[in-house]
This record gives sequence, structure tokens and C-alpha cells, in this order.
Amino acid sequence: MRNTPLLQARDLVRRYGMRRGLLGRSVDITAVAGVSLTLERGRTLGLVGESGCGKSTTGRMVLGLETPDAGSVEFEGRIMPPPGTAAWRAMRARMQMVFQDPLGALDRRMNVAAQIAEPLEIHGIGDAAARAARVEALLRNVGLRPDQALRYPHELSGGQRQRVVMARALATEPALLVCDEPISALDVSIQAQVMNLLVELQAEHGMAVLFISHDLRAVRQVSERVAVMYLGTIVEEGTPDALLHDAQHPYTRALVSAIPHPGRGGNRIVLQGDPPNPAARPSGCPFHPRCPVAVARCSTEAPSLRDHPDGRRVACHLAEPAAIAKAA
Amino acid sequence: MLRYLATRLLRALLTIAMVVTFAFVVLRLSGDPALLIMSVDAPPEAVEAFRTAWGLDESLWVQYVKYFNAILHGDLGRSMRDGRDAIQLVAERIPATLALTLPALAIKIGIGVPAGIYAALHRNSLTDRVVMTLAVMGFTVPSFVLGLLLVLVFAVQLGWLPSGGDGTWRHAVLPVVTLGVGGAAVLARFTRSAMLEVLGQPYIRTASAKGVPWHAVVRGHALPNAAIPTVTIVGFMVGSLIAGAVVVESVFSWPGVGRLLVVAVANRDLAVVQCILLLVAITMVSSNFVVDLLYGALDPRLRQSRAGGAG
Amino acid sequence: MSDLAIAAPVAAPAKARLHIPPGVAIGLGWILLMLAVAFLADIISPYGYTALDLRNRLSPPIGFGGVWAHPLGTDELGRDVLSRLIHSIRMSLLIAFGATIIGAAFGTTMGFLAAHFRGLVEQAVLALVDFSAALPFLILALAVLAFFGNSLWLFIVLLGFHAWERYARIARGLAISAGAQGYAAAVRQLGARPLRVYARHILPNIASTLIISMTLAFPEVILLESGLSFLGLGVQPPATSLGNMVGYGREYLTRAPWILLAPAFTIILTTLAISIVGDWLRDKLDPTLR
Repeated sequence: MRNTPLLQARDLVRRYGMRRGLLGRSVDITAVAGVSLTLERGRTLGLVGESGCGKSTTGRMVLGLETPDAGSVEFEGRIMPPPGTAAWRAMRARMQMVFQDPLGALDRRMNVAAQIAEPLEIHGIGDAAARAARVEALLRNVGLRPDQALRYPHELSGGQRQRVVMARALATEPALLVCDEPISALDVSIQAQVMNLLVELQAEHGMAVLFISHDLRAVRQVSERVAVMYLGTIVEEGTPDALLHDAQHPYTRALVSAIPHPGRGGNRIVLQGDPPNPAARPSGCPFHPRCPVAVARCSTEAPSLRDHPDGRRVACHLAEPAAIAKAA
Repeated sequence: MLRYLATRLLRALLTIAMVVTFAFVVLRLSGDPALLIMSVDAPPEAVEAFRTAWGLDESLWVQYVKYFNAILHGDLGRSMRDGRDAIQLVAERIPATLALTLPALAIKIGIGVPAGIYAALHRNSLTDRVVMTLAVMGFTVPSFVLGLLLVLVFAVQLGWLPSGGDGTWRHAVLPVVTLGVGGAAVLARFTRSAMLEVLGQPYIRTASAKGVPWHAVVRGHALPNAAIPTVTIVGFMVGSLIAGAVVVESVFSWPGVGRLLVVAVANRDLAVVQCILLLVAITMVSSNFVVDLLYGALDPRLRQSRAGGAG
Repeated sequence: MSDLAIAAPVAAPAKARLHIPPGVAIGLGWILLMLAVAFLADIISPYGYTALDLRNRLSPPIGFGGVWAHPLGTDELGRDVLSRLIHSIRMSLLIAFGATIIGAAFGTTMGFLAAHFRGLVEQAVLALVDFSAALPFLILALAVLAFFGNSLWLFIVLLGFHAWERYARIARGLAISAGAQGYAAAVRQLGARPLRVYARHILPNIASTLIISMTLAFPEVILLESGLSFLGLGVQPPATSLGNMVGYGREYLTRAPWILLAPAFTIILTTLAISIVGDWLRDKLDPTLR
């Protein structure tokens, strides 16, 4: 039991049919094209990529909110049951989500305490008194005052709302928390607070976190490992330091160079070509039309994600483990 | 455009098929038509003969198929009271009803639309308030009350017009007015809010800011766009030409389809009722269909998007 | 995007003090009066609604040569018009309330079913909506009455189907948008059963829109009820309703117009009052509803 990772996703594929007109042909859009990831208990995996790269869809499949068209998700060694079934519902207590838009994720006609208590009610945990005590503890946990328990979402600030969402997510002591862009809707001044809170909460509750963001800096702050996604596939995965200081994939390098850095100027990599379109995936390596170092092979053959000796994984023909070994 | 047409046509036919099914289901659920028609002390042989004649002794599915088939062939059954073809009975009444509903429709459009446009263009003026007050009254005063009040004033007190019956054009005046006034009120209210909606749009403000004369803005931009929702409700009014006068015909003892329907309902003359039901559904669905086509003509955007969005 | 900017539009309608225009105030007053009359009908009505006073037949109202015993006059059988009016108000309001609630409950349920199951169920509900839109409700109601005969409960249920498709459309649209993203999806992924999501979260969130729609449909139901009863196909004697009274009074239009005028004006004033209040509520609370 201890040997199996908490979460193991294998070759997840998700396509969306886009119908043109009532009788029109349906055009398939591949949002996720074969993503595998592993998350150990208590660890944090960051998932980075620009919007439309399939990172949120991956998060939703990992949680079982969406069924992959191919591939499988195993959680605590068990295959994810289909959404809506009793087994699926029971599993919700073990895996929770923090949303991008906390106001949208909260019911505006229910006070904060009732919403935090809701997962406890749903999963039949504790009696009324125990739930009330738990809600109080959770509120303190996320840094809200007890008198804010009876407030309604619209009476709180954005940061406070996100704290409520976190308290609700943690109510059932889940083993996995998926945070989908949890800070991008917040004021910059609030973002750091919420990030710190997330780190504190992880230390206290010990859950594993899948942290999804478009912002490499935010991801690096909380993650032990980071996976970079481009057009539905993971192109590179490794420790934050390895990615930041020694990126192997050209796309990762472009991402890293896009981070503003006061000491460094001039050597930003500006990507050429159109932004990726999931409806018209290029042949070969999905990144090759924009890649500054692409070779002929890149347009015909898709590189697979290979393990490197230093523990990272890269999907690029020019960064083959053999090639690196030779260079070194 | 062709696909749009086909989709709308399919939906229209489906709706009519549903009305037919509805009539059948309700007819069978309502009990044994044989016992409803024959008196309680009718001899059993007579009841049995009636069942065979009407095909009531077969399975429901067979009845349903036969029923559908008969309707497709224009056979809507006979009046259970006097044995005449239901469709003929109804057809005889249609001219009388149209004699009321057509002039009434002219009044509705002739008064309602201009009043609504005028009220919208002179928002919050005295005229606007008067028009809107009258419009709300027109909606809240039921037609039978309005009709009876008109009778009370113009027939009973003043003696200018007959209080009911038919024969001369004078008999038609009060029912036509009753029908027309209520509809004009609804239409005025609707046109006004459609106009106000359009007048608040950015493109109207842009046009007038560009220096286009106001009357040209109204004629060129506001009216065509406000026409779209207005056409819908006019379509509904056209669709109810056949059966939109049920209450008013009863108030004025006017021998139209509506009066026939009320009498048939009271007598439970089911063949006649279902014949009128189908006739109304077909009129309504066809007029909705025409409205959909007009939509396409008035708003080219809808040709594409509607075909997809209708789904 | 400051948090204040997000919170303000949500908080505003709840906190702003409502200014009630005089027309609406009068409308509200009339509605309250009608409700009081309906509730207290047995206490305040001077006579039973079938009680005969054969010495005072066709007695006119006070001011037109009537007697104080019958302030609004009597009918052909000497029945007190005021007492009958009071009981008619109770009956008409009862029917209209019952029918409106049935329509809202049925329509909302259908809308939720369509939103939840999508696919075939949704198509079926939409086809039913089309069907309802294809027939003027009066004709449909007449057909059902012809087929099934008449009883008070059937009549109420029948009228309940008036406007159900409006609630179905609203409920479906709002439930779909709530389920696609936002609180409903969030609660679903907490592990809530669909019933909990719909009953505890979506319903309270769309209740105000539904209530406004009910206010707008209510006068229509009163008009339908009175129309059908006027035709003699609704409420059956000896029971009495506003439309039923008008239908009866029609026979005495020339000799005793008061029999007809009292219920006629009650219908007009009541539907007018509810329409005004309903329009005002809609403009105030939910301008998106049209």
C-alpha cells in the first residue's frame, strides 16, 4: 500500500467534439493528448502552461470530474469510478479542489459556516456539534475570524473567499488537493498571502497538491516537481531548480526567459509563429512550428517523454539522454 | 439557409404529430367514448355496435395507427351528436370567425404598432403614459368583461348597435372592437419595449453620434431591429385567427368556430373538439414557421446561428 | 479588479432601501385586501353565498335604491351579491394560487430534469415546450375539459399547466449555467447527490427569478379561470368564482347590471394590481427577465 503512489495517471487523452451547425461535421479538438503523471503522498506537483494547453482539463480528469477518452487514473491504488456513481461520490471526501474564481465556487445564498460544513454533512462526518467545532477550527486554520462564519460570500474580500474555499476543501481531510489557478483572480498583494497559506496548510494537513498555474514563479514556490505542458502534452518535468536553471526543452527555456528578471536583460526568447491551436495540431513535435531550434525530424516524428539520468523527463529530440551524455 | 428551413419544417411537423398524439392519448384516457356518447340505459348491443363502428374494440396500438392514418387522409371523424363530418362542420364556421378576427387583426396592428413606436420615441411623455396605462388596462380587462361593458353602453344604454347575433355588419362591430382593443394593447406594450430595447443599443447611439439625422436612425436602424420581436407576437396573433375568438364569440352569440368549440366541449362532442384542436395547431405551427422564415429575412445572422443553436 | 468592485453590485440590491411608487403601493394594498377577504371570507360575509332572500330579489346596490341589508344588491334568486363576491374572490384566488404553484413546481422540475440529464430527456422537454407553445392555452384547456369532464381539482391542475414552459425554460437555463461552472459544479464535486445540488443550492439561487415569473403569470391564471368559468366550463354551480358570477350576471345585463359589474371590476382591479406589482418587482429585482 505504501509503495503505490497516491495518484497515478497514465496516458490521459481528452477530446472535445465541436459541432458546426446542427447537422454539421463534428471537429475534434484534442485538449489533452497523452499525459502521464505521478503524485506521491504529501508532495506537490506543479503543472504549468499557457491557457488552452490542457492543464485544467488534466486537473479535472485527475479528480475524476471528467472521464478521459483514453488512459486511466488510479487514486490510492484504485481505478477512478465513473462520475456520478456512489463510489465516485464517496471518493470526493479524499480529493478536493480549489477554484480560480472563489466567488463563483461559493453559493451566494449560504453563509460561510454552512458552506464549510457542507462536505461534512454530505459525507456524514460527525454530529452537529462536532461539525460546528470542526468548522470553527477550519476557519482559524485558514486565518478567518470566528465572527466571519455567518457572513455571506459577497461580504468578504477575494482573498477571504479563497480562504473559505480552502477551508471547505480541507473539511474532510482529503489526501489530494487540486488547485486550479487558485491565485490568478486575486489582487497581487493577496496572492502571496494565499500561497503562504497553502504551504502552511500542507504542512499541517499533509495532503498532496496538484498546483495548476500559468505562472512558473508561483508554481516553483510551492512545488517539489514541476511539469510543463504544451498543447496537451507534458514537454518537460523535473525539479523547479532544474527547470529554472537548466531547462532542456526549448519551450521551457522560453517560459523561463519570460520571467522578468531585473539583473538580466536582452536575452529573452521571443517565440515565433501563431499561438497553438488545439483544433489543428501540427504533425511531429507539437512545438516544432514555433521552435527556434527545430530540425527536420521534429516535423515528422513526435518525441516521447524520456527519463533522464538526473531524474527529469523531457520530450525533445534534441535533448535525448544519449545526446546529453555525449555532450557531457 | 436550406438546412435552417429543413430543421424548422421538421420541428413543425413533429409538433403537429405531438398534438395528434395528445388528442389520441387524452381521448383514450378520458374513458370509454361509447359509454360517454350512448345514454346509460342504452342496450348493450347498441353500445357494442358503436364500438365496432368506431374501432374501439381493437388494441390501443392498432387504434393509434389507424387514428394517425385516418388523420393523414383528412378523416377527422364524425360529430358524435349529429353524425356529420366534423371537418365539414368546422369548415362551415371558419368564414364567420375570420369575419371577426381579420378586421380585429387589422385594428391590432394598425393601432398597436404605431402607438408602441410613438410611445417609445416619446418615452415618459404624457402620451407615453396614457398609451401605457391603456395598454396595461387592455391586458388586465378580460375580453368577456370588455365585451359585456360595450354591450351595456352601446347596446343597452345607447341602443346604437345590436347586443349579439349575426346578419349585418352592425352585428360585427362590437365583437371586432372587443377583440381588437385587447390585442392592440398587448401589441403596443410589446412594440414599445422592443423599440426601447433597440434604442438603448450602442449602434443606435453610434449612428446618432455620427450625425445621422434622428428620423433616419429610427427608420434605418431602430425600426427594422425592433420589428424582429414584434413579428413574433404578430405571428402568434395570425396563428390564433381561427380560435382567438372563443370567448368573444360566446359573449356575442357569434356563430364561429369558437362558439362551436364551446358547445362541443359542453356536449363532449369529441370529434369536433379534436378537429378544432388540430386545425388550431396547424394554423399556429404554420404561422410560427412563417415567422421563422421572416426572422431569417429580417436578421441574416440568424440563418446560420439559429440552425446550429436550435439543436 | 478589486474585491470591492465585485462585491458592490451583488450587495447593492439587498441593501438599497426600496422606494415604492404610489401606484405600486395602491396595488399592494389592493392585493392585501383581497388576501384578507379570501382568508376571512366566512367571517366577513354577511350571508351564506347560497342563502336566498326571496323578499329582496334583484335588489339594486345602495345608492341605486337598494337596502342596507344587501349593500351590493341581490340577484334573481335574492342571493346577496356581496357575500357571493367574497366567496368568489376566495375561490378564484385559491384556484389561481394552486394553479400557479403547480405550474411553477412542474415547470421547474422539468427544467431541472432537462438540465441534469441533457441528451434525450432535454430534447423531450424541449419538444413538450414546443408543443405548449403551439396551442393557445385556452384551446388546450377546453379540449382537456371536453375529454375529462370537470371537477375542481382537475380544473386547478389543468390551469397549473399554463405557463409551465416559462418556468421550465428559466430553470433549465439557470441550472445549466450554474452547473457548467460555479457553485453547483463546486458542490457536486464535494460529493453531493444531484437532489442536494438542485434543492439546496440551485433552487434558492433562482427562487427570486421564479417568484417574479409567478407574479407575472398569476393574473393570467385569474383571467383564464374567469374566462373558462364565464363560458360555463370552469367552476360549476353551486360553487362560485368571479368568472362564474360574470357569466351568471350576463343573463341580467339589462335588468340588474350590478350582478355582473361587481365581480367584473374585482377581476380588473386584482389583475391590474398584481400586474403592476409584478412589473415593478421585475424591473427592481431582475431586469434580465423579459
